[in-house]
Amino acid sequence: MDRLQRRALLSGLADSLRQKGSWCGETHLQKATYFLQKLKKVPAGFDFFLYKHGPFSFDLRDELTAMRSDGLLDLRAQWPYGPSLIPTEESAELREQYSRTMQKYKKQLQFVADQLRNRNVSELEKLATALYLTMEESQRSVSQRAKRLHALKPHVTVDDAAKAVQEIDEIVKVSKAS
Amino acid sequence: MAWPGGKLPLGVFLTWRTKSEYNTGMPWTAGDFGVQAISAGVVVLFARRSKSPGDFGFAFSSKAGYRDETAGQISTNGEDHLLVLYLLCYISITVTMAEKPPRNEKVPKLHHEVRDPIHVFVHLDSDERRVLDSRPLQRLRYIHQLALTYLIYPGATHRRFEHSLGVMELAGRVFDVVTAQDKVTDRVRKAIPEITKQNELHYWRRVLRMAALAHDVGHLPFSHAAERELLPSGWDHERLTREIIYSEEMQNIWSKLTPPLRADDIVKVALGPKKAADLKPSVWETILSEIIVGDAFGVDRIDYLLRDSHHTGVAYGKFDHHRLIETLRILSHPDTDAPALGVEEGGLQSAEALLWARYLIYTQVYLHPIRRIYDIHLRDFLKVWLKNGRFSTQVRDHLRMTDSEVTSAILVSALRSNSAGHDAASRIVRRDHFKVLYERNPLDVRRNSEAARLVFEAAEKQFGSKNLRFDKYPAKGGSHDFPVLMSDGRILRSDAASEVLLKLPPVATEFVFIAPDKREKALSWLETNRKSIIEKGRKKNG
Repeated sequence: MDRLQRRALLSGLADSLRQKGSWCGETHLQKATYFLQKLKKVPAGFDFFLYKHGPFSFDLRDELTAMRSDGLLDLRAQWPYGPSLIPTEESAELREQYSRTMQKYKKQLQFVADQLRNRNVSELEKLATALYLTMEESQRSVSQRAKRLHALKPHVTVDDAAKAVQEIDEIVKVSKAS
Repeated sequence: MAWPGGKLPLGVFLTWRTKSEYNTGMPWTAGDFGVQAISAGVVVLFARRSKSPGDFGFAFSSKAGYRDETAGQISTNGEDHLLVLYLLCYISITVTMAEKPPRNEKVPKLHHEVRDPIHVFVHLDSDERRVLDSRPLQRLRYIHQLALTYLIYPGATHRRFEHSLGVMELAGRVFDVVTAQDKVTDRVRKAIPEITKQNELHYWRRVLRMAALAHDVGHLPFSHAAERELLPSGWDHERLTREIIYSEEMQNIWSKLTPPLRADDIVKVALGPKKAADLKPSVWETILSEIIVGDAFGVDRIDYLLRDSHHTGVAYGKFDHHRLIETLRILSHPDTDAPALGVEEGGLQSAEALLWARYLIYTQVYLHPIRRIYDIHLRDFLKVWLKNGRFSTQVRDHLRMTDSEVTSAILVSALRSNSAGHDAASRIVRRDHFKVLYERNPLDVRRNSEAARLVFEAAEKQFGSKNLRFDKYPAKGGSHDFPVLMSDGRILRSDAASEVLLKLPPVATEFVFIAPDKREKALSWLETNRKSIIEKGRKKNG
């Protein structure tokens, strides 16, 4: 996937998320892209690692900023949370130019947008971290992964971590079936 | 002038001192035993100097009228005297004192200061000075902070060495502010247990300062300018920094500090999660790394903005960093509760000023087109001058290579028309650099985000690749998201608390440069073809 294809994909993801009621801030797009790559195996090519609020990619952060700079995304303030990233008309044109790419990954984009829809940043942090641990340690039980999540993110209680891990197991199951 | 060693040698000395002069308690000086004394006619046969007035033994007077300045017991009546001998009342004390060596109240100096134009003094202790005196740190005396920027801003000749000292100084200050127990909330204590343990804090303060001091040791000659394209794939200056921190020479130093430091901890804090993700830094280590390399108010950024602004002579990089540092806090992020480096509401304007200062200095200094083309000419030179066109990644080779070696080679090559890299060297030395043909602008970007590259490719076909160069600095970083502690106790996201931050545009530039002798013709060509070049590039389907 080249850079422009990737940009078309990201703006398509932002568009799908917004249609499902997502706030679509930078964190929402970070976590949604992580799901797209890890769960749906879309080769967007970003490197993710576990950071302050869960899986995070510096490359993706830079790319989103470059897309703002190139007029493909607008940063719009919305009280009381952080700003949203809104796809512009230029990004719609880009998606048209890359219609084959968009068609190829349409289902995957839809699936991720459906699963993450209007979740807030706190929920996304827990879910994405649970997915990260599940991908790394799939053979471990719910309770083991929940304890690990709590150890990595002490501000997340073990109970909340367990709920997030269970939910991820469910999403993975649905993803495989779809 | 005092006698060296605090003693006078045995012999005949002349002196004249009034009682009031004695009472000042000033020590004897050579002058006291010299010219002044001759006029008064007091002869002193044996004397030892100290701060005490009763400090010499025998005195002979050749004539009357001398003034008794010692202990005040004896004075003359003004008649002639051939010889007056008197014993000073403190003779016994004097002799005793003279036999003893002078008291030595000097204690070993454990804390040191280095003068600095930005922070006035940089403080370090003897352990830290051992790190500073190591080869990798001393090498930074020969690496310019801003590469060849001094060809545009002549004052910009400062080096990575003083920047590293500045980053260490600021890191220590920030650490002391954010770990002060009255500034840490219970929620943060729970999430970061390290912050409550004094012994651990002592260790981590040392790690932070040493990480700050060493964070740039991997820089190649001319810092960032020469990095692109001149290292093997997967290498950058951060990876070299890591190699040096792990090197035997540095491991020997880390292990002998008090307390001994783990190289892994220094790497995690110096490079941050972006470059040391494989070491899986903890929440606490991530916050410490934010103090150094953080996007919002890392001290690396604070120091380079202030220092580069000072040396280039532009005012854009200045802001109230004192206020900012005093208001930094570790806060729970309002979205997730995860601890992060934030700021009190009172420091928000200073944080805004920092981020605007960054925007302005990037556009005015770092991304100045002539500075950018000199970077390219430098890279062109290095590609042919370096063995295999690449810098070595061996620590031993890296430590041997500085700006000095490269500058010497450039000067030699510029003089010899048949030497490797002559053209690029000559352009640097004679200021015969390429000129701007095209610069990124919002109108063209809206039409086609690849406009600059398309112009470059078309111009290359028209005028030949040896006459064209392309330069791109893409927008980087994210929106400025950090927690802000409001005066009413609420914690908000920075982009919710500050309208100013939301209006900060991303910094990006693209230039197409052309050889000076081709520029006029190329400008005319571009005027005719610009629109078609940019529009044509849009017709792609994938």
